[in-house]
Amino acid sequence: MEFLFENILNLIGFLVGLTIGSMSYIGFKNTGSPTLFRLSIAFFSICVGFFVIWAGFMVEDFVIKSGHIERGVQTLGIGIQTVGYFFIAFSHGIKSFFPKSRYFRSVGIFPLFLVSVIHIENIFRSISFILLAYGAIETMLSYLESKKKGAIFVTLGLSLLAFGEFIGWYSFVFPESILYYLSISIKISGLISLFIPVSKVPLRKIKFDEL
Amino acid sequence: MVEYRTHMKIIGDILTTTRDELADDDGATVTFLIRKANISHVRISRILTNLVSQGLLEQDSSQGACRYRISHSGREFLHAYQTFSRFAENFGLAI
Repeated sequence: MEFLFENILNLIGFLVGLTIGSMSYIGFKNTGSPTLFRLSIAFFSICVGFFVIWAGFMVEDFVIKSGHIERGVQTLGIGIQTVGYFFIAFSHGIKSFFPKSRYFRSVGIFPLFLVSVIHIENIFRSISFILLAYGAIETMLSYLESKKKGAIFVTLGLSLLAFGEFIGWYSFVFPESILYYLSISIKISGLISLFIPVSKVPLRKIKFDEL
Repeated sequence: MVEYRTHMKIIGDILTTTRDELADDDGATVTFLIRKANISHVRISRILTNLVSQGLLEQDSSQGACRYRISHSGREFLHAYQTFSRFAENFGLAI
């Protein structure tokens, strides 16, 4: 059951990351925009991160058959995803890793007090949470200015991913509990929400040109 | 709060002006573009030179003053710019 849930999450994450990353890259090739370049790095990283974990589960399931995924593979995948979340946050103007922004102060310190020193994976998860929360808040502020409906879905998506990371992090404290499944369900909802506005972008007439 | 335009947004504004706001096919003068795009002469001269060299604008110097018309590539670029502008706005970003 755990493997099935993880596989669904990682496959959706891989596909959503690949789709948004590809669209950002096409946009970068057409316009030369550095923002779209950063977005393509972000979503390709998220895509690769989910793929690494999915591959880890597949290898474990069909080859190793030890009953649990290699901790190093999972940490690597989460680390690569964190790089992606960093670039999303960076696109919103992060100037340093711990800026003095009041939004960051309000959400950034709390998880660091609770982080386990045992697994580097926990550290990646807490960094992901901070970056996702920052990205969600900045996107929400952008929505308040632009009133673009798509920004609501992205805000919701990033918020759900952040919340999923937060809950998933607690599932380390209370293993084998419902928190783990709740975390994965929330993250899947977040990924779907991220994809909704992007799916409405018409790309049929866009082609690579030689600028 | 003052909203600063990105370089890309200024290019988008110039191309949009040359596509949508000209009454005839003669092209836009620099003065017209300065007024519509709200940008200094020094800066717009640099950008126009760049856009002409990239093939996004066509320059016509036959009537005394330089006039600028959007090219086919310019229209394609503008279409891509507007599409991906909306795409980036979904993430709360500007391209």
